[in-house]
This record gives sequence, C-alpha cells and structure tokens, in this order.
Amino acid sequence: MRKRLCGLGMICVLAGLVVTAPAAMATPTERYLHVKVEDASKGESVNVNVPLSMAEKILPTINKNNIHNGHVTIGHADMNDVDIRALLDAVRTAPDNEFVTVKGKDQDVRVAKSNGNLVVHVRDAAKGGQKVDITIPMKVVDALLSTAKDNELDISAAIRALGDAGDALLVTVEDASEHFRIWVDSKGSPE
Amino acid sequence: MVLFGKIALGIVGTAVAGLGLLCSEGLIEVKVVERAPEVHHLYVIAPAMLAPIGMHFAPRRDLSHAAAEIKPWLPTIRAALEQLRDTDDVTLVEVREPGEHVRVSKEGGSIVVDVEDQDDTVHVSTPIRAISSTIEQLAAAGPST
Repeated sequence: MRKRLCGLGMICVLAGLVVTAPAAMATPTERYLHVKVEDASKGESVNVNVPLSMAEKILPTINKNNIHNGHVTIGHADMNDVDIRALLDAVRTAPDNEFVTVKGKDQDVRVAKSNGNLVVHVRDAAKGGQKVDITIPMKVVDALLSTAKDNELDISAAIRALGDAGDALLVTVEDASEHFRIWVDSKGSPE
Repeated sequence: MVLFGKIALGIVGTAVAGLGLLCSEGLIEVKVVERAPEVHHLYVIAPAMLAPIGMHFAPRRDLSHAAAEIKPWLPTIRAALEQLRDTDDVTLVEVREPGEHVRVSKEGGSIVVDVEDQDDTVHVSTPIRAISSTIEQLAAAGPST
C-alpha cells in the first residue's frame, strides 16, 4: 500500500513538473517601444513599434556624433550651461515633491517626483490648448546616470530599465488636431 | 530498364536537392497590382538565394561605392537583422494617409513591405537571412582595410 502511494506521489510530482516546466522555461515577454503620431485634421497617422531588445542591441553599435557605444555625450554648451547630469541626480536623490509649479495666464507648468516617476505637465493655451505630459520612471533616470563619466548618459542602460519597468505611457502631446504618444508595453501592434 | 530507372532517379534526386539548396534561404515574393491607367497584375516568386548569388557576380567596381557607404553601418545592420530574426512578429512602421497606406513588418522569418495607394498595391516579402547574405556580399565587395 505504501509503495503504491509512493508511486502515485511520484507520478503526481512528474505530472506537475511537466505542466509547470514550460511556463518556467518560457522566455521573457518581448517589450516594445511605441511611437504614434495622429493628425485628425489631415487624416494621417504614423506608428513606429520597436522591440526594446532590438534597440538595446543596436544602440551600442552606433558611433556617430554624440552617441558612442550606447552612451550619449552631453556638453554643457549644448544645454545652455545647465549640468543635466547634476540636475537628474538631484531629482533622483530628492524625496517625492513638487519641484516646479508655474501658473500663468496662458501656460501651466508642473515638474514633480511622484510614486517613483519623474512627472512633467505643461498646458499651453497659447498653442491651441496644447497639453504635454511626460512620465519617466526613476529607474530609467537611475540607469541614465549609471555611467561613470560625468558628461555622459547611458542610453542602453535606460532602455534596459525601460524594459524591466511595467507598461508605461511615457509622453503624450495633444493639441486641437494632433496627438503624439510614446509608450512601452508588450503588444507587438498598438491598441 | 533498371539502368534507366537509376539514371532517372539520379536526375530527379539531383533536381530535388538543387531545388532544396536554392530555396534554403526562403523565397522572395513580389506582388504588384496596378489599377490605373490599366489593370496589371504581376506576381513573382523567386528563391531568395539568387540575391546574394547575383551580388557575388555583379562587377565589383559598380558595388564599391555602395559598399563604402554601407561599411560604417554594418555592425548596426548586423545587430538589427540578428534581433529581427529572434523577435516575435511585429509591425515596425505603419503610415496612413488619405488614399495611402504603407506598412513594414516582420512576419515569420521575413521582412514584409506593403504599399497601397489609389493606383497601385505592392507587396514585397524578403527573408531576413537573404537580406543578411546580400548585405555581407555587398560589404565584401568594398575595399578591404
């Protein structure tokens, strides 16, 4: 009786392994960076979908202008003497907070760190009520700064971090007729 | 009689093996439908291996300029093609305008380009392996450093 139970137990364990092994061995889901531009007034739309793994592998092979081996070199002159690296590092180490809030007659600007994201909102009534929303996971900011050199940002690492982050709507720009979006998810085609 | 049978078997075997080798890199498919001014249909399906073979026999001096242009981008092209081979099927680019639709996608082991406007419909499907081989042949045609 005991031998039979042992045999039955072994069969159950083997059956469990057979059922769960494919899921455990499955390759991680591919993630995609999507860019979509729609112009309702002209009836035009452009969709670009890039597998993040592809972007991650291609970037280090590009050595042109400021891009070398997946890093982008930023000179102070390019940023009007603003040290973008120091600025990002300050945001990274700061607690959740509103950093900038500007309320004008035609324009509202808000820059904040919230729930592990760097958030930028701009509303511009002068440009036909244009709305800009940017949400960057702080993990991506960390990855950008992961390079040792002071005047570089690590784009490859940022893309890797973007792949590890969940589905995210990164950028939206909307006005009366145009709609521009950048987002990351695991669907090969938008919507 | 047996001898003829053996010869026929040899010929058929060689033909099948040759065809298999020729199609080993897949097939290039081109479909064009012209609607204006007259309706024309063109459908070509050819072994993709013909492209790198053709490149091999093309005069080197005619290819050297293209080879020099492509050389700095070879690592990028190689990385892109390698990743495309491994990635799931995906629509890479899609552009829609009134009366026009362009789509570039990866389907199976091929890059597929579909263009549709009011006058024409064009469909081109090329195996990624054949693109790789052709690019390598083109690169080899350049001056060696």
